[in-house]
Amino acid sequence: MSQNNGDTLTARGPDLTSGPDLTSGPDLTSGPDLTSISKLKPTTCQPKPPKPENAITIGISAQVLFNMEKEQQGLEDYIKYQMEHEMQPFSPGPAFSFVKALEAVNTQLKELYPDSKELFDVVLMTNNHPYAGLRLIKTINHHQLFIERYCMTGGNSPIGYLKAFHTNLYLSSDPDKVREALKEGIAAAIMLTPEKITEVSNTQLRVAFDGDAVLFSDESERIYKSHKLKKFLEYEKEHENKPLGHGPLKGFLEALEKLQKKFYDKGQRKDCPIRTYLVTSRGAPSPAARALKTLYSWGLEIDEAHFLSGAPKGPVLEKIRPHIFFDDQMFHVEGALKIGTVACHVPCGISQEPAPK
Amino acid sequence: MVSTIQNTDVKQKEADRAVVVAVTSRAVFDCGADDGDEVCEVGVAFPLLQALQRVNERLLEENPSESLLFDVVLITSDSQQQQQSSRIISNTRHHGLEISRFCFSSEEDFTESLLKNNVHLFLTTDRDEAAQASQKGVFSALLNGKVASSEQLRVVFCGDAVIRTDTEPPSASQDAAQSFWAQLGEMRRRFGMLDSPLSLVLLTSRGGRESCGTALQTLRSRGVNMDEAYSLAGAPQSPILSLLRPHFLLINHLQD
Repeated sequence: MSQNNGDTLTARGPDLTSGPDLTSGPDLTSGPDLTSISKLKPTTCQPKPPKPENAITIGISAQVLFNMEKEQQGLEDYIKYQMEHEMQPFSPGPAFSFVKALEAVNTQLKELYPDSKELFDVVLMTNNHPYAGLRLIKTINHHQLFIERYCMTGGNSPIGYLKAFHTNLYLSSDPDKVREALKEGIAAAIMLTPEKITEVSNTQLRVAFDGDAVLFSDESERIYKSHKLKKFLEYEKEHENKPLGHGPLKGFLEALEKLQKKFYDKGQRKDCPIRTYLVTSRGAPSPAARALKTLYSWGLEIDEAHFLSGAPKGPVLEKIRPHIFFDDQMFHVEGALKIGTVACHVPCGISQEPAPK
Repeated sequence: MVSTIQNTDVKQKEADRAVVVAVTSRAVFDCGADDGDEVCEVGVAFPLLQALQRVNERLLEENPSESLLFDVVLITSDSQQQQQSSRIISNTRHHGLEISRFCFSSEEDFTESLLKNNVHLFLTTDRDEAAQASQKGVFSALLNGKVASSEQLRVVFCGDAVIRTDTEPPSASQDAAQSFWAQLGEMRRRFGMLDSPLSLVLLTSRGGRESCGTALQTLRSRGVNMDEAYSLAGAPQSPILSLLRPHFLLINHLQD
C-alpha cells in the first residue's frame, strides 16, 4: 500500500498531524514519561500464582524463552547431554525480555492491588523429557524468573494443556504447534530471533501489533491482494463505519487493556507500565479511520497508532522498541528482526497463501 | 474366611520378583444379580488389566525369562459377588484376562487376603476399602472412574506425596508406596525412551516449580525415570488429569 508519507496519529488526544479529529481524550505525548514510574521492589517471598481463569496466561515454549541446543544426536544422547550439563543454565532467548517485562508489571500490580489475582501468569511448555527439563528448572532459578507452572509433555502436543490453562497467548518457534493453537482459538504466534536484540525497557511492557489479519480479520487484505490499492481505498471508504472482523490477537489486546485499566483506576495513566502500539501499513484517511473506529467499536483504545501508508515498519519500531511485535506478513517480520525487534509471525489470513499470478 | 484359587490357565509368576497388583472383582466385572446370562459386562478396571497384560507381553519380548512382571490377583469380598465366584472365573477365561489368582474373603478380612498374597498395589473404586488396606500397610490407590483409552499403561504419580519430611518415621504404607515406585521404575527401565508400553507421569498440584523439580530428582535417585512432568502450582487438577488419561493415580493420602 503506498500513498503519501506515513502519518503518525496519536490515538488518544486531539493532537493529530493531519486528517479528521478521530479521537477525544487527554493529550498524551508520543513517548512515555519514565521519570515517574514507581521503583521496582524485589520480591522476598514467592506468592502463589493466580488461578487460570483470573490471570492473563501466557504459554511460552522453552525454545523461545532460552537458547537451547537442538536435539541432533537422537533422544537418548540428547537427554544424556542435558543431564551432563544440568548445572549450566541456558542463556536467555528472544522471549526472555518479554517475560521479564510481564513480571515487572505483576510486581507493580501487586503493589496497587495486593489481593488481586488478575496478573500475568507464564506457563512453560516443553516437549522435553523431564530429565532434560531439570536443566530448565535450574535455568529458571538462575535467571530469577517467576515461573511456577510448566508442562513437560514428553513429545505430546501442548495444545490440550494450553486450553486447560485458559491460555491467552502462546509463543513458540514451532510453526505447526502455533497453527494448531490458532485452529483451537488460542492467540498464538511464531517467535523469531533477531541477530542482535535491541535493548528494551525493563519497567514498561511494550506490545506492538500489526492491524489486518492480526488484530483485525484479513477481509481488507483480501481486497488489496486481489484488486490492488485503488479498489482497496474505495472499499475502505465505503465501509469506513463498518467495523472490521476480529483477528486472532484481538483477545490478547483486550486482556492487556483489562490490566491497563487497573493502573488507570489508580491514577497511573501517563506512566502506565503497559503500553500498546498499532503499526500498520494502512494510511489516512479512510483505512486509518476504519481501523480506529473498529477498535473503538470493540471498546479498545490502543495507546499509539502508526499509519505508515506502506512505508517500512523498521524505523517506527526502532523508535518504539517493543518487547514483542506481531505481524502476519513475513516481509514486515523480517524488517522488524533486522532492526533488533523480537518479531512474531502470526500465520493467519490471505497473506499466507501464494500471490495469484 | 479367606480362600485363594489359582487360575490354572495362567502361568504363575515368581513370588519374590513379581509386582502383585490386586483389583476388586467389582471393578473388573459388572455382574448383574440374577441375569441367568453367563457373560458379565466389563468394569472400569478392564482396560487397566489389558494394559498390564501388554506390559507383561512386551517385557517377555525383551527377555523371555523376565521375572519382573505384573501379577494380577482378583479380590472378591462382598457377599453378592461371592455367590458369583464361578461366573467371575469363567468370565476371566472368556475375556482372556491374565489373572493368576482369585481371592475370596468376607468384607471384614479382605485385608488379610491382601497381606497373604503379598500385594504391592491394591486398586479399588471404594474409598473406604482403600483406606482400610492402607491402614494395614498395603499401598492402595483409587481406580480412575473414567475409563482410560490408551493402549499404553499410564501411571500418574501425585508428586506432592513424594517429598515428605524426614523427621517423621515412614509409615508402613509409605514404605509400601516407595517400593512399588521402585518396582515400576525398574520395569520402565527395561524399555527405551520411545515406544514404551508404560508411561510414568509426575504431577504436582501444590507447591511451585521447585517441588516438582525436587520430586523429579528424588525419583531419579531411586531409579524411577518419569516420561512427563507437570507442575500445576495450584491450578485445577481435573482438566489436566482428563488430558493425562491415567489408568490410576498414585497418591499418598486418599483425600484428593
